[in-house]
Formats: sequence, C-alpha cells, structure tokens
Amino acid sequence: MQDSRSRASVKSLLKREIGKIRGRLKPPAYRGVWDVETIDRRRLNLLLALVLGLAGLPVFMLYVLLVMSSFANTMLSGPDIFSARYSIENWRMLFEGRLSPAAGQQYTTRDIIMIIVNTLVVALGVTAVVLVVSVMAGYAISRMRFRGRTRLMELMILLHAFPGVALIIAVYAIYVWTLGFIPTENTFAYKSYMMVYTVFARAALEIPMSIWLMKGFFDKIPWEVEWSALVDGASRFKVWREIIIPLVKPGISALAIFAFLAGWEDLIYVHVFLYPEIKTLATFIEEVVGSIETTYLPVVAAAGTLYLLPTILFFVLTQQLLLQALSGGVKA
Amino acid sequence: MVEVRLEKVTKKFGRVIAVNKVDLVFEDGKFTVLLGPSGSGKSTLLYLVAGIYRPTSGKIFFDDKDVTNLPPRERNVGLVFQNYALYPHMTVYDNIAFPLRLRKEPPEKIDSKVHEVAKLLRIEELLDRFPSQLSGGQQQRVALARALVKEPSVLLLDEPLSNLDALLRLTIRAELKKLQQKLGITAIHVTHDQAEAMSMADKIAVIDQGTLQQVGTPEEVYLKPRNLFVATFIGNPPANTLTGSVQTVDGTVFVEVGSARYQLTEEVSKIVREAGVEKLVVAFRPEHAKIVESPLVDPEGDLVLEGDVYVVEPLGRENIVTLIVAGMPIKVVTPPDVKPHSSSKVYIVVPRNRVMLFDVETGLNIEFLIREIHQKIPD
Repeated sequence: MQDSRSRASVKSLLKREIGKIRGRLKPPAYRGVWDVETIDRRRLNLLLALVLGLAGLPVFMLYVLLVMSSFANTMLSGPDIFSARYSIENWRMLFEGRLSPAAGQQYTTRDIIMIIVNTLVVALGVTAVVLVVSVMAGYAISRMRFRGRTRLMELMILLHAFPGVALIIAVYAIYVWTLGFIPTENTFAYKSYMMVYTVFARAALEIPMSIWLMKGFFDKIPWEVEWSALVDGASRFKVWREIIIPLVKPGISALAIFAFLAGWEDLIYVHVFLYPEIKTLATFIEEVVGSIETTYLPVVAAAGTLYLLPTILFFVLTQQLLLQALSGGVKA
Repeated sequence: MVEVRLEKVTKKFGRVIAVNKVDLVFEDGKFTVLLGPSGSGKSTLLYLVAGIYRPTSGKIFFDDKDVTNLPPRERNVGLVFQNYALYPHMTVYDNIAFPLRLRKEPPEKIDSKVHEVAKLLRIEELLDRFPSQLSGGQQQRVALARALVKEPSVLLLDEPLSNLDALLRLTIRAELKKLQQKLGITAIHVTHDQAEAMSMADKIAVIDQGTLQQVGTPEEVYLKPRNLFVATFIGNPPANTLTGSVQTVDGTVFVEVGSARYQLTEEVSKIVREAGVEKLVVAFRPEHAKIVESPLVDPEGDLVLEGDVYVVEPLGRENIVTLIVAGMPIKVVTPPDVKPHSSSKVYIVVPRNRVMLFDVETGLNIEFLIREIHQKIPD
C-alpha cells in the first residue's frame, strides 16, 4: 500500500514536471485554446457545480422553507424568515394530535402515532412483498431458462407502462368484491384485510420494475462464481442463499429503499382502499390541507417534514451504498 | 485419485455441437492438458467432467463409476476458473473453508485443513483478507487452495494462468506442475497457450471444433503431429507448410514444391499410389531448417528449397528469418549469427527425417493415414 502510494505520488510529480516542460514548449498561440483534452478539470467541475446549483436552488429553497416553517410560528414565504419566532411547539402539537395552538379546539385530536404506525405498516409491507417476489423472480429470470422467459419480461415492462391510476378501477372492483366475504363485525379481520390488500396492490405496481432491476444485478454475477459453489458441494438453493444473495446486497438495499419510499409516499392507493378507516401520513396531510382555511399551517409543515423525512434520510445516507459496486475476487 | 474416462461424449447447445463424440482417458495421477483455440470446446469438455454440463450423449467414468448423471457436488472435483471465481464477500479463510463447511466437517478439522493447504500454497498471511485486497497471483493461489482443500479426486484447471502477467505465469507454471507431482493428483488443465501445454503436460489432447485432433506426449504432438491443424497450432512459430503436387518420373515419386523436387521414400510412395493422393503438404518446423548460401551438391535426399529473404527478426537467443518460397512465407529459426541480407537469395535445407508430409484432402499426416486406413479397412 505504502509503496504504491509513494509510487503514485512520484508519478504525479513526474507528470507535473512534464506538464511544465510541455507548457513551455507549446507555442503561445495554442495556449488557452480549449479542446476536450485541455479543459481544466477543476474549472469544469466548478462550472458544473454552479449550473446545477442555480438550477436546483428554487426547489431546494422550497424544502428549506417547509422545514423552517415547521419550527416557526407562521408559514414562511421569504423575507419573513428573519422576523419569525422559532420553537419546537409545532412538533409537540403534532405528536399530541392537536392541529391548532388555540385551547378548547372544536376538532377531535388525531392519533398521529397511529397514523405513523399505519404508514410504516404499509411501507414495510410493500417493501417485504417487493423484496421477496423480485429477488426470487429476478434470479429465476436471470439464471434459469424456461419457456416464455423473454415474453414474460416484455409483458412486465408493458405492465410497468400502465400507471397505477389506470389500473385502480379493476383493482378496486376486486377489492370491493373480496371485502364482501370478510365479516364486518370482526373489526380486526376487516382492517387487516384492507391493509393486506392495499400492501399487495401497491407492491404489484413496484414489482415489474424491481424484477428488472434485480435481474440486472444477478446478471452481473459471473456464472463461474455460481458454478464454483456448485462444484464445492452446495445445492442450487444453498448457492442462491449463501453466495448469490450476499453479492446482490447493494441491489437489494436499493430495491428496499425504493419500495419503502413508494409505500410511504403513496397517496392514491391508500386513499382509495384505506381512507377513512385507516389513515396514513399522506391521507392525513391531504385531509388537513383540505380544510386549509381553519388549519394552523406550521403544524401541517411539521407533518409535511415528517412525511419527507425518510426520503431525505435515505437519499443522503444511501448515495454511497447505491454507488457501491461489487468487485474483487472475480476478474471480468 | 481416479482415472477419468470419456466415452463418445457429445455436447450440443441448441444446434451447435460443442463437443463431438470424444473418447478420451485422463490417466490416474497424470497431468493432462486440453489444448485448443478459443471456441474449440475445450472448456465445455472440462465442465462436462466437472458436472456443470450434462452430456447430450455418451458416458463419463471416474474409474469404474459412471458419473454421467451425477451433479457436481457428488463428483468430488476441484475446479479453478480463469477468473478465479472467489466469493467476494468472504475472507480468504472462509473461501477456502467453504467446501469443508458444506460437508459439515468439525470446525477444528476445517481449521487445520485450511491452514495446511494455505501453508502449501504460501498464502497463510492472507487468510484474513478479502479477495479484492489480493493481487491476481494471490487470488489464483487462493482459488487453487479452495480447489485442493477438499482433497478432490480430479483437479480441473480452466485457463488458470491466462489472467496473470507473463513473468508470473512462467513461475506459477512450474510451481503448479511441481505441486501436481507432489500430490500425485489427476489433473486436467485447459489452455489455448501451446507453450504452456508443452511445458506442463504429461499428455496433451489437442482439440479443435469439438473434435479430438491428437492425444499424445508433448514430444509426440510436437514431432509427429497427426494432422495439419496440430502441426500449425503447436510451435512458436508454428510449422511451415508448402503445398506441392505429386509426380512420377521414371518410377520414382516426387513432390514438386516451387522449383524444388523432394523424392518420397519407397514406403510413402506406395501409400501415395494406393490412396491416389495427388497433392501433398510438405511441412517442417522452423528450427529444423538450416539456411545455406549455395545449393548443396549432394543433398542426400534432404528437402532443399530456394527462397528470398523477406525479413530477419533478431530475438537475442536466436533469429527468426522469414523467407518467401514459391510465393509463401516460410519462417526459419537460426542461430543469432545468421543474418542474411533482405531480398538476398538463399537455400533452406531440411533433413529428411524432419520433413512431415500431409494429405491435402484430409489434412492427415501420411504416417497416420496408413494407420487409419488400415484401422478402417482391416485386411
């Protein structure tokens, strides 16, 4: 390690020296002429950062205002960020289920903890279903030959092309029909069924793309690794569990994040199937925004921030993970 | 250790015949090299022995046990791949221990075996590392250790040296052969590198287009190639070939190559006449030829060709002289002091016992032609 580093530094030193000599030798007319090779890397990066920063600024500012509003005594919209008073009062109210600071409010308090739990159940449920189905199906499609394999993959892409909204009428029809068989008096069974149905319906929307994604990850593993394990004495299932699955972990993580966010953020499906018996954060925000004249907006801003939290968190934390490629031990 | 025997083994992928009716015996405790160009079916053959592929037809035996339909895990083979195929998420130790753990051997036994094989391959200090932290040569040793730790009855090597740099390849080549001799293990090594094959093998099996071309010791394959393919595939530079027509003058049979005439022996003449051969390929190895300035007065039946010097490539230990004979490029390996001028006229002399003759139609060596005709039509 040490050796290679010192060698690298010697190399870069040499490069710099050679560069200097070249610079001196270069006729002055060519200096400053930018072709692809000679654009200064640092300047280029600076330029790119500037352009992207400016383009992203409006969107970024909106989020900043939302997050700041969740701590402020008024909904912020610009210069008032300097005059507002900040506290965690909004968050406290949100978790107490009160939507306004005024005492003796006429609306019923909301069980925000329950809402968060519901959202989590949907999100985690979708994640679980998507993972199980797409990891197994992705492996099968990547590694096993069977009749209609390519046709199946084409069909899945086609399925993905349909937006969830277009499918919802049929999915809803089946939902209502099957719900008829569940005894209404048994609230737990009834609500469980609603939840399970929603989870599966929502997961089904994610699955086609997830299978494709997973297939890509499986495709990247050389056959030799799998053969090697087979020769070493493992059964096909053992190879899958002990060799292949650990190698696609980055893919599984990415998939899990996408599926979780899809479940967490979903509005249409949870609204159609669960509202108003079971509320999630999305339908909760929709509801309070619906009565916007009477709502104390900074609390909604807190709810909105809470709703955004996983998205922000995952994208900040997992950038590295998503980029992490599996390497080593296998020379391509 | 076992003897591996293939009987009429054929493997088809769809309509492509990868391995075509191969009969081959890999002797117990011997180092056999499967040699062929890429796409010749040599790796497929190896995977058939490993059990990764199942033959379309034919049988595979380990000693007297028919393993044709056994899955790889019931064959007890060790396999090293070209890309090593180490498990990237496991340490070197776990990589080597993996086959033993699958056999549910007790941990202390696994530990002692792993250390033993690691010591043998001198990778003990690497046991805690991950494959990505190793150099190519180290990864190769780990792959070898993993293959050897289960004490396989056959060691299969699929071009294990081709990802190493040239210098390391030479070292490992020698070490691998030494290791195989030390362990007395039956080894099958697949390669497209004829020098590697020559240097390592007890026996070489040359394969092309899924068909076995010749099986023999390195010397046999080199000096008595069964057909034109083997002659021109093995050797660096490979054997020179010139096509000539068979002519009979006053009862003696000649091959006419360019301006030269090469008289055939009585025996060969008989075959040529019997088989009705009209054209022959005259071949010889570059190092068996000599360059002389003037034509010999008494050639004693040696092959003498007239050629123009095209280019001289000095390699230090020897020179490679390319000449144009009858419009065809011919390479001759000469001592370093022989440096004829470009486009000068010289003569090439090949001793009679070094000249190989091949039938143009079948590509077979004349010597083999007799034998194979006799085999087909027993008299």
